[in-house]
Amino acid sequence: MESENQILSTEQSLEIITRMIRQAHGSAKRNSVYLIVWGVAIILANLGMFILIWVEYPRPYLVWLIAIPAWFATFYLSYKHRQEARVSSHLNRINSFLWYSYGVIIFTIVVFGFKINYQLNPIILLVSAVPAFVSGTIIKFRPLIFGGVLFWLFGIICFLIGGPWQYLVGAVAVATGHLVPGLLLRNKNDEQHVQGS
Amino acid sequence: MFKDLDPLLHSQLRLAVMSLLIGLESAEFTFIKEKTNSTAGNLSVQLDKLSDAGYISVEKSFKGKKPLTTCRVTKKGLRAFEDYVTVLKQYINK
Repeated sequence: MESENQILSTEQSLEIITRMIRQAHGSAKRNSVYLIVWGVAIILANLGMFILIWVEYPRPYLVWLIAIPAWFATFYLSYKHRQEARVSSHLNRINSFLWYSYGVIIFTIVVFGFKINYQLNPIILLVSAVPAFVSGTIIKFRPLIFGGVLFWLFGIICFLIGGPWQYLVGAVAVATGHLVPGLLLRNKNDEQHVQGS
Repeated sequence: MFKDLDPLLHSQLRLAVMSLLIGLESAEFTFIKEKTNSTAGNLSVQLDKLSDAGYISVEKSFKGKKPLTTCRVTKKGLRAFEDYVTVLKQYINK
């Protein structure tokens, strides 16, 4: 950029302001890794539950232990991303706290699952619709917005069907609501700006 | 009668820095340098001027062993930028 002594016209000033505000829009691609990690973990857990219930394994819920390595991966990746981040935006912070809140709510639902006879799937899918829909809106990424809507639809379907089929619906919901948007976000062209980094 | 444009903001690099920071909570020196395509020396001088005027706050710390300079817009800076844009609009619409 040239020296400060250059006299600016009003049009040049406006052009600088517009261009720089656009530059502040970072890439949300980095966030895609969380959607992929959790998408894969929860799909595997749901499919595992579905299969283990069919084969009448006595403790099918043990398959959810797959969430433990996913949590470790999340802690490691978020630590690494915080170290690498050179910029902080309000939207980025709102987006992060939205997902933290989601994590806390899911944890609470799972811990007190015995109070509702472990009929968790429809509730988890409906709650999952909120961060996917809002986060998709914040970063202006339609596949995640659609993913949020699909979570809501699959949540309703889960209420209507019962038994192990709920786990199959859960796997499909997480595939369309987290994994596919995560993969699309990861492959998104950098030139297509996505707000929040 | 139009107000004069704030001379501190009516400069290419300082206006670019303020426009960049206005949409962010904070940004590191290297990020600002990259986005404004400026030299480290020139950028340091302009950041000092904005800081002296109270338009931005500059925090110096360390990231590991590397020195880290983080900038953010102050309330005074935000008001000055809004005033600048208001006057700019008047000039454009006249």
